[in-house]
Amino acid sequence: MPVGSGETWALSLMVATLYSATPLVLAALGGVLSERAGVINIALEGLILAGAFVGAWAGQSAPIMGLAGAVLAGALIGLLHAFLTQTLRMNPVVSGLGITLLASGVTRYLALRWFEQGFRIDGLPGGLFLGLALILPFVTLLVLHRTRFGVRLRAVGENPESARMAGVAPVPLRYLAVTLSGVLAALAGAYLSMSDAHTFSSNMSAGKGYIALAAVIFGKWHPLGASLGALFFGFFYAVQTQLQISGVQVHWLGVEWTSPFLLDCLPYLMTLAALVSVVGRAVPPAALGKEVE
Amino acid sequence: MTGAVTPGSGLARALLSVGIALVVAAVIMHLSGYDALSGLAALWAGATGLRAGPPQADGQIAFGAGPFTGHLDVYNLAQSLARSTPLLFTGLSVALGLRAGLFNIGAQGQMIAGALAAAVIGGAGGGTLPGPVHLLLVLCAGALAGAAWGAVPGILRATRGVHEVISTILFNYLATNLATYLVTHGLKDPDPRKMAPQTAAIAPTAHLHPWVAGSNLTAGLLLALVAAMGVACLVRRTSAGFQIRAVGQGLEAARAAGISVPGVMVRAMALAGALAGVAGAIEVMGVHHRYVQGLAGTYGFDGIAVALLGGLNGMGVTLSALFFGALSNGAEFMELETNVPRALAVIVQAIVILCVGVRLARRSLARQVVAAVQDSDEDLLEEEHAGR
Repeated sequence: MPVGSGETWALSLMVATLYSATPLVLAALGGVLSERAGVINIALEGLILAGAFVGAWAGQSAPIMGLAGAVLAGALIGLLHAFLTQTLRMNPVVSGLGITLLASGVTRYLALRWFEQGFRIDGLPGGLFLGLALILPFVTLLVLHRTRFGVRLRAVGENPESARMAGVAPVPLRYLAVTLSGVLAALAGAYLSMSDAHTFSSNMSAGKGYIALAAVIFGKWHPLGASLGALFFGFFYAVQTQLQISGVQVHWLGVEWTSPFLLDCLPYLMTLAALVSVVGRAVPPAALGKEVE
Repeated sequence: MTGAVTPGSGLARALLSVGIALVVAAVIMHLSGYDALSGLAALWAGATGLRAGPPQADGQIAFGAGPFTGHLDVYNLAQSLARSTPLLFTGLSVALGLRAGLFNIGAQGQMIAGALAAAVIGGAGGGTLPGPVHLLLVLCAGALAGAAWGAVPGILRATRGVHEVISTILFNYLATNLATYLVTHGLKDPDPRKMAPQTAAIAPTAHLHPWVAGSNLTAGLLLALVAAMGVACLVRRTSAGFQIRAVGQGLEAARAAGISVPGVMVRAMALAGALAGVAGAIEVMGVHHRYVQGLAGTYGFDGIAVALLGGLNGMGVTLSALFFGALSNGAEFMELETNVPRALAVIVQAIVILCVGVRLARRSLARQVVAAVQDSDEDLLEEEHAGR
């Protein structure tokens, strides 16, 4: 995270917020695409992890290979989630948890085999992913509301039966939506390993997939809303890291409020607070999680 | 939700899922340059304690004769059973939640809360309390703390509509971080020589003693088995259990039957949390004799796999916990002996979840068909499945 010595604290906090929000925005947009098509996607966490791993692994030869590899891995795992939930009709939470656990196990296993201790990759400039995170919310909005694909996708998420009557096959559309969702989440992972950490470590996704999902609900399943939600949570990640870097200590009522362990609670606590305040008014896509023939 | 998670007891299909997962594990070992056969042999030996050949060390019991000589390593077997103990509790926790239609991904945080409370109460009293009273108090502390940590997501779901999958996951992260803060600050081990993030040791009156010397196997396993029977009785035979199942079957129907859905949700989550909390208490009383960071391992998450493989019923979850406990201990032994990373056990667990998930989905489809043909209630359906 770039923290220039001459920059003001506020400016570096803003920059840190944007970079902290980058993976959350990308994953949240993936969540929007999948859930607007009616498929609960709790596999985001595993997709981020897989994207991070493949990005680091394939990125060792050339950064562009890392990016391509992460996109491919995301698409394939997204396809798997679509196959399990739409064709085999598995409970989407079970499928999502299973995929996340699989990604966690496989990446841990392979990291021990394939990566040297403390290996580093050149990776890609973080600005690339930041640019994507700034542009893609609007692209997603345009796609969802201004293209035939987007209109059909939302129709399938709201009322698959009517969509079918209108000549749209729900299952192939859901496949496509979940596959794209996988690509976006894997890009979030690629950012983590290729631009943020320049290495891969086990479970480096650290719950970002679930936070992204919360941002989707917080943003009422709207691409811009979800991105703002991601920015909101990114802000608290940034506050946490900036406070840790600054070394400021706050003691009050016998509690060390600036302890990294308490600061780590901040993004989760704010996510929870946001959900409690917004959920009653947030209406999910009508056919979210519903089966289609 | 697509393919609601429904109770089932297809032992054959559970075994098939496990079989598929183990075959995949063997293929992965082979492809990544390990000898799959010796890997599996080490996994088996670590999991069950059973191995070919005459005994080589103390604590190994010989059996068979001639070329069929084998031995049982009592320590390995005991350690596998010790691993199964918290898994049975967290598996029951997840299963109970799912019976009420709630996905409790928070057993991890609930176990941490229970363990921390148990360490605090276990350290109190300073040996002045009679043993049995102190043991009971520590168990209750664990159950209550776990229940509280589970009830909050239940309340948020019942009153504010916050989905329990997200909230329990957030509560896990909160529990992990808060516990780490507490054991490095207010609850830190006062012994200045101990730098590790842990609490002070609990009093000997709160200890559970090992059944096999040097192992972690204690009466906790008995408690877990009793809990499994208790949960099974509760779900099947009591009106509270009927209400839980009714809510799990569908909110509309439960409301129509005059059941207070929010109340049942909160109670189910509190009870699920209490079960996970006791898992934490037993780890404190029998294994670490204090709260140490990382005590909960991944037991809470593993409980999801335990519950799903066990088909949400008491006997199934018990067998499933025994399997995953043995798998976990076996994988560690395998890593020591053959260098195959123990993360392989995580892969096996994921594949089991995915295979069993397909089974559950198919069943729920069958259920829909049956429901369409005849106005069947759940008991009728269960009889039908039991008859197969």
